[in-house]
Amino acid sequence: MFPVTEDPILSVRNLKKHYPITEGILSRQVGAAKAVDGISFDIAEGETLGLVGESGCGKSTAASSIIRLEEATDGEVIFNGGGRGGRTRNEDGTHPNDVTKFDDGELKAFRRDAQMIFQDPSSSLDPRMTVGSSVAELLLVHGMTDKERRREIVEDLLERVGLEADYYDRYPHEFSGGQKQRIALARALVLNPEFIVADEPVSALDVSIRAEILSLLNDIQEEFGLSMLFISHDMSVVREVCDRVAVMYLGEIVEIGDTDEVFRNPQHPYTEALLSAIPRPDPSAQRENIELKGTVPSPTNPPSGCRFHTRCHMVIQSDEYDLEQERWRAVLTFRDRVRSGEIDPESVREALAFDADDLSNVDNQTVKDELRTEFDLAEELSDPEAESVLQDALDALAEGRIEDANDRLSAFTTPCEEEEPQETDHGNGHLSACLRNKPETEHGAPLADD
Amino acid sequence: MATDRQSFDEIDWGQIDEESEREISPNFIIVAIGTALMGAVWAFDYFFVTGTWDAAIGMDFGNQYTPTFEVIGWGYDVTQLDWLFAFSLVLFGAYMILPLYQNPRMTKYYWRDMKRNRPAMASLGWLLFIFVIGVIGPAIIQAPTVDLMTKYQPPMFLEINNVYPINCVGEVAGGDCHGSLEHPLGTTGDGKDIFRIIVYGMQISMKIGFIATLFVVTIGSIVGTVAAYAGGLVDEVLMRWVDIQQSFPTFILYLLILYIYGASLFLFIVLFSLFSWEGTARYVRSNALAKTEEEYIKAVQLSGASTYRVIRSHIMPNSASSIVTDITLLIPSFILFEAQFAFLGLGDSTIPSWGVLIAQGRSDLAFAPWITLIPGLFLFFTILAFNFLGDALLDALNPEADAEAEQ
Repeated sequence: MFPVTEDPILSVRNLKKHYPITEGILSRQVGAAKAVDGISFDIAEGETLGLVGESGCGKSTAASSIIRLEEATDGEVIFNGGGRGGRTRNEDGTHPNDVTKFDDGELKAFRRDAQMIFQDPSSSLDPRMTVGSSVAELLLVHGMTDKERRREIVEDLLERVGLEADYYDRYPHEFSGGQKQRIALARALVLNPEFIVADEPVSALDVSIRAEILSLLNDIQEEFGLSMLFISHDMSVVREVCDRVAVMYLGEIVEIGDTDEVFRNPQHPYTEALLSAIPRPDPSAQRENIELKGTVPSPTNPPSGCRFHTRCHMVIQSDEYDLEQERWRAVLTFRDRVRSGEIDPESVREALAFDADDLSNVDNQTVKDELRTEFDLAEELSDPEAESVLQDALDALAEGRIEDANDRLSAFTTPCEEEEPQETDHGNGHLSACLRNKPETEHGAPLADD
Repeated sequence: MATDRQSFDEIDWGQIDEESEREISPNFIIVAIGTALMGAVWAFDYFFVTGTWDAAIGMDFGNQYTPTFEVIGWGYDVTQLDWLFAFSLVLFGAYMILPLYQNPRMTKYYWRDMKRNRPAMASLGWLLFIFVIGVIGPAIIQAPTVDLMTKYQPPMFLEINNVYPINCVGEVAGGDCHGSLEHPLGTTGDGKDIFRIIVYGMQISMKIGFIATLFVVTIGSIVGTVAAYAGGLVDEVLMRWVDIQQSFPTFILYLLILYIYGASLFLFIVLFSLFSWEGTARYVRSNALAKTEEEYIKAVQLSGASTYRVIRSHIMPNSASSIVTDITLLIPSFILFEAQFAFLGLGDSTIPSWGVLIAQGRSDLAFAPWITLIPGLFLFFTILAFNFLGDALLDALNPEADAEAEQ
């Protein structure tokens, strides 16, 4: 379990959000999309935690479950802000501050302490309401019936986020994206919350406006001592804004730690890949650009073991073989594609033939060569044992015996698909979940050696 | 920044009680007062006027003429349809017209868009004309009456062979009777003044439009939003009910009731509007479902607002533009229906509606075509105007489409 920061304002424990997949008239549940599958972290008072990952990895679902826009499937979200601090667990093990179990009254009070900023400023404001009333509505909902007072507060707030008081009566379509995001920020602030979830608040904005909004966020956070959960897929924005960062992959957190530490010394191959994608202003800097192949696997049926093993460039080799890392990755990708039935030798043959009706002039060797090129398998693998297995499999494929090829390729295995990685502590709250970092590992050197 | 100004971080939420989050809006007050007034007049009508008339005759005839405002010397009998019409006018004023005044910026914005569309502006003018004349006209102008002596009078600037009218009101020249100001649009075969029928017909068309809208919008949006928000079994039941009702032959039911009780405009309007809200309900439901996914709705839910508030202040206003467009297509179809039924002789032939007039002129087309043509033109232009206006409203009232175009 991830360690507890001292007196966090928010601690998320083993949070899960599964979307049931139903079938038939009776809506029988046949499976679940595990959008968020057991994440845990803490956010200290005044701290900004970045949650990063590709699209579809469950960041936004995590956010809406934490703030209870959606009901979590399992787990706890303990919110200690708003004068709730110091409470201890009930006798039955539940926590009085658990957001997922708040009743209506507590939830409404929680709304005053935690608010959210959305990604798309053009759809986050009601197009038929003046922006002033959009912001003031929250005050009304929480019982402030004095209209003049509401207006005064909102006008003051609009000025604080860098707009003008007389914008109160204007409609969203009269503003630019950056201005709308300022208004959205005003709406999130108007109840004076202690905690804000920012779901990709700048990714829909022009680069020139990003910096302004980010620095506004920063100023406001400092002025009011806000804690923030900052969701983004953009590592460079995260580095600028966040104190700590958690990297998510397919519903799980694979690495978490201080931003500086994680950026300087990433411990998980996925983090490394994300970081390598940041453009660098220094052309002479040496850093390989790691390209993640394929898309994020479906959360309905996540890969076994380490969920990242299907795309990991550092995937561990089994002891029997000794290949270059790049080839090993290629071999495993090839194996997975054959297993999922995505490779059809007939269509390869057809594509190679000049005349679609006459496939006889494409011999098996051409097909095999084509497959090798396409999957980057080299002309001959350096390990003779691996090469013979691959050769057998390719032969079988070329002859159309897909099952046999599949059987043959099953000889390639990696510990990554068998063993679920546990968190490794790298000190100072920096944790990662990768088999390479296991202390007693025999799987070669850990990721980074410094 | 002024220091005495209230700031959001100085609010002591502990001091603010959870008061009712629902304010009584001026719109609601207007509706309440309007309804109360109507209730009072209705009670007066029921207990003092109709009651007295019934007592005088000695029995209750139900539909007899009872001049509600005889006290102030106005012989107008307020009927069931009038009550419904008045109520829909109050609602229209409070929830369509007043908001235009309350949100001047939005109004100006729509107006700018609308103004560019010339056919739509002409249509708006035409409909306003029909509406104002239709509402006020029948209160001032006497109802058309049968006068065989002045039958087949031609409209202004037209003439007819003098054998048709018994007594030509205008000038007779060369064996032709010429139109006169007395009957500017001529008269029918039984001497009714066409101008008056047109004016009364305007009111009937407006009644059809407004009352049908009242029913369709009310039932349609309630069923639609409830289905969308409740989901599950409720949604399933309501939507299957909509399916069933949509396949129900309303026309046959209308014929059946008509043969048993006789035709009346009230029956037509109420029956057909009670069986026409399905499309709107479906539409509102899908719209509400789509809007729930919008970030601004999520933001409102996050504010802690009640479901009622989310629906009433956000889903409804944002669906309004589409409902309005939907309605501008529905109203003309109702008006056309009425005309068609009148033409087929399935309507109430005693009312002075355009359709009835068209049917009346059918046999006189050869020598007095205006009897059919004049109401036909009014019908044509009114329906055309609704369609043009609907198109223009669709464009003007859809800020999302604009926002998308900007990107």
